[in-house]
Amino acid sequence: MAPAFVDYEFAGRKELCLCHSTGSPRRVLLVPPLFDEMNRMRKILVDVMHALGSFEISSFLPDLPGTNESLVALEQVSLSDWRQSLQACARQHDISHIASFRAGTLAVAEMEAARHWIFSPVKGATILRTMMRTRVAADRESGLNTSLAELTEQAGAGSLELAGNILGSQLFAQLNAAEIPDMTSQRIVRLESDSKPADSHIAGSALWLRAEPDKDPAMSFAIAQDIAQWMEP
Amino acid sequence: MHNKVELTPEAAVRAVMRDILGLSQEQVAEFTAETELFGALPELDSMAVAGLLTELEDRLDIMIEDDEVDGELFETFGNLVAFAEMKVRE
Repeated sequence: MAPAFVDYEFAGRKELCLCHSTGSPRRVLLVPPLFDEMNRMRKILVDVMHALGSFEISSFLPDLPGTNESLVALEQVSLSDWRQSLQACARQHDISHIASFRAGTLAVAEMEAARHWIFSPVKGATILRTMMRTRVAADRESGLNTSLAELTEQAGAGSLELAGNILGSQLFAQLNAAEIPDMTSQRIVRLESDSKPADSHIAGSALWLRAEPDKDPAMSFAIAQDIAQWMEP
Repeated sequence: MHNKVELTPEAAVRAVMRDILGLSQEQVAEFTAETELFGALPELDSMAVAGLLTELEDRLDIMIEDDEVDGELFETFGNLVAFAEMKVRE
């Protein structure tokens, strides 16, 4: 069966959510990475949804407000909004488990009671530093000399354009302070090449860091298989 | 939870180049101190450099300041490894 779009309500609006339903009560919310990494991992995550279907698991991949098809401007959105929207999505779709990827984990950090599967988590400041460096490089090409410190200061005073995204002050500040959460029930999964602590490792390459989106069906299957084993009753 | 494995700066630089530039294990294994980077590797543009610096910071637990990054740093693989080793010792 092909995935289909459903929606969820948040702040009086409908946001889209890609859904691959198997009719199973095992329903996992897939929380995507943030910004460019979200786009670069979209194909990987959709392939994960297909593979989860073969394990009789239903999966849901929501648009965060301000991203993809959302009608809200990213500039108006904060990390708190993302956290609340995901709680709303989980409630409305009877989610039983949560799998979050990269900085997406920061958006489910407050769902303490849930069971969390976490892939290659990263703190918010790390994501922002890459985006700020991209801005510094682009500025330099147009003859401007910008620094990370100046950009951080600008973000405190108003919205900031970073690598094609307009971030409001609140989103920037909240992300900059967001550390990788330590949750009661969690399984951390990383790539084999990653030396940080993990409960399990998966073969593959960090496709979310590449210039162009790519796919890796073997990695998507390995991710789905690990999630399926973790979700077994 | 498995414990953190200490990564040498050189191994980290090779792994980051592989992940960010999409190079093969064989390609990065052949890098020597003299291997030219910026200008010689078409994948290594200023956007890739942005990600590469942050990944090195994250994997080696270091902070790289704006004024430490210049053209010389990305001239050769040896320069980049020497810089990473220096930052880890700091």
